Amino acid sequence: MLLDLYCKRQLISLVLAKVSILRNYACRDWCMLLIPGEQPRPFKGNRRRIAMLRGALLLVGGLLAITATPVEAQKKTVSLWHVFNLETDMIHGGIKAFNESQNEYVIDARILPGPQVTTELIKAIASGSVPDLVTLDNPVVASFSSQGTLAELTDLVSKSSFVKPDLYFKGPWASGLWKGKIFAVPRDANTLALCYNADMFKAKGLDPAKPPKTWSELTAFAEKLRDPGKSVYGFAFSAVQSEEGVFQWLPFLHQAGGSVDKLDQPEAADALKLWADMVKSGLASRDVINQRQYEVTNTFMAGNNAMAMCGPWELPRLEKDAKFEWKLAVLPVKDGKDIKASALGGYDWVVPKGSKEVAGAFRFIEFMSNPKILNEGWKTGRLAPRTDVTVENPLWPQAYAIYKEQVQSARARGPHPQWPDISRHIQQAMQEAITGARPANEALADAAKKIQPILVKTPL
Amino acid sequence: MTVRQSPLLYVFLALPVLYLMAMIGFPIVYNIVMSFQEVNLGNVADWNRPFVGFDNYREVLAEGAFRKVFVNSIVFVTANVIAQIGIGLAVALFFAQNFAGASFLRGLLMSAWMLPALVVGALWKWLFTTEAGIVNHALLAIGLISRPIYWLSDVSTALPAVTIANIWFGMPFSMILIAAGLSGIPREQYEAAALDGAGSLARFRYITLPALAPTLLAIACLATIYTMRAFDLIFAMTKGGPLDSSNVLPLLSYQFSFTQFQFGTGAAIGTFAFVIVFAVSLIYVRTLAKEEPV
Repeated sequence: MLLDLYCKRQLISLVLAKVSILRNYACRDWCMLLIPGEQPRPFKGNRRRIAMLRGALLLVGGLLAITATPVEAQKKTVSLWHVFNLETDMIHGGIKAFNESQNEYVIDARILPGPQVTTELIKAIASGSVPDLVTLDNPVVASFSSQGTLAELTDLVSKSSFVKPDLYFKGPWASGLWKGKIFAVPRDANTLALCYNADMFKAKGLDPAKPPKTWSELTAFAEKLRDPGKSVYGFAFSAVQSEEGVFQWLPFLHQAGGSVDKLDQPEAADALKLWADMVKSGLASRDVINQRQYEVTNTFMAGNNAMAMCGPWELPRLEKDAKFEWKLAVLPVKDGKDIKASALGGYDWVVPKGSKEVAGAFRFIEFMSNPKILNEGWKTGRLAPRTDVTVENPLWPQAYAIYKEQVQSARARGPHPQWPDISRHIQQAMQEAITGARPANEALADAAKKIQPILVKTPL
Repeated sequence: MTVRQSPLLYVFLALPVLYLMAMIGFPIVYNIVMSFQEVNLGNVADWNRPFVGFDNYREVLAEGAFRKVFVNSIVFVTANVIAQIGIGLAVALFFAQNFAGASFLRGLLMSAWMLPALVVGALWKWLFTTEAGIVNHALLAIGLISRPIYWLSDVSTALPAVTIANIWFGMPFSMILIAAGLSGIPREQYEAAALDGAGSLARFRYITLPALAPTLLAIACLATIYTMRAFDLIFAMTKGGPLDSSNVLPLLSYQFSFTQFQFGTGAAIGTFAFVIVFAVSLIYVRTLAKEEPV
């Protein structure tokens, strides 16, 4: 009975461990579905197929191992944690090709659900046994690099013939820097654009070839497209109390001419007011406050809104599940300001400090940075973080052109070691303004006051 | 004879004690130590971390959300315990009627309790969706409400919504324990009471309830402990939002530790949750001790 008592206590203190166990074992399929980061849901069939394939490969591998030469037996294992559970992602082909291309290293990959990567990595760091290579969401990289938990890659990059800093877009590359040193190499980039339901445009007498170009047009279009009788809203975005909500709102902040270090200025208030007013007037659902990006896309595909903020990683899902004609447009700009802006997302390769195969991990990073491999990224809606990659005959050509244009104006979050803290204060202000608890300017002024001391210590 | 065996007995005693100290005592102490230290990503693997006294606790108390979340936790747990036991008792009594298929249906109810909390959370998130959710649809259809309720998007309804979901989730467990307690009451007592002219209400009031009292108290403690750690369900439904209106202590602790990377602050919040659970556990242990005096 004492045991029982203490068990309960342990469950609380180790809530995280428990959750991860649950996610890992009890509901592996389900959880991928439920907590899917930016990942579209995997298909059970696919999963099973992968498992079978893997089994077959293991068998073949085992047979080969018996007859293997000593050189092959000495391959060093590079452990890799990543979040890309779509079979078509470039990482799977990349791993296979890498393992076959040389005899020194072999990649041992483990797939984690998106949001679990940071928690798993923290646990690995705390316990001292880290993987050799991890894909991290780029705004959190600075939190890790500034605390000295990542291996520095500056020397390896300087000697590399593939990973050349000047070939990378500025935003993604900056996410891996800390105090002039290189701690991460961008794997891919993404950004947000406006996705709209062309069928609904036609039904309401709007020209699908002319999506909204300004905030006032966006509002006017949303007004025209909404249909309360059919539960159709004009516009949808994610304002959920997490980094995802901030990611979606920042484009508007920047379009208004505001910035994260000046949240108490009227520009910032304008941007938040736009969202709050849309919710208040019923152009957007009140549920946006609780919807993750994944769920926003769901409502769009279900025909519950006519326009939605959408990242390119959703394209495979849109293609499969949206039963109407959808199109993409560059995000509208604020009338009179004319500032093009969007948010920059994407994953970075990082090597945790303590990895025994830094060289091998970097070899794989180089391999994956080859434009030939990066070209494959678009198959799952991943843009290349480099200037020297152009996809010929891309899937979804219209979307590709839009995202390619949009990523030019995408701005990085941070890099700042306390970005999660800054983000939390922005989330708070968003929640206050959108639920109507406080006017946008007051909520943001409060956030600015809380962010100020963080920025005094380390400026953006 | 006894003297000769005693060294071996000590070994048997030492095994569970060592296990408890290593697996349970250590994490608790470690958590408390962490709550007095500054712990960040850089030193989370070290033993030698700077002590900051009560700074983490001060930070927690100064955090606007904390008070709200603390109250939320108390409300959430209280509502859950009362409802889980109340409904659990009603359902257990219902199934005790021994109609055809009663035990099968009782087992079926348990299946809800066996689902992973994340799945249950996602399920209820769908049910509570404003436009497409079946909860609003049903309430509108029977005319209880005249327009949809924004269950998970409104600061005033988010906590009730997650509470309802958690009651549904946890009730079968209380129900099965109560059912076990019911089966322990001798049937003769009811027969005797019936012969004496006691109606069903009187039988419940004077036989069932007194006989079940210790069981109910124990279940209340267990339910408190279980709901105090309701993390996954709320994480899946609202992530604590909007505006922390549905946040509870374990989730807030998780957010500080693993989203903000402020492990010391997260540990301090954990300590608050621990104190509550520990107090309830003491009551639980004492109840059991009274129940089976040795």
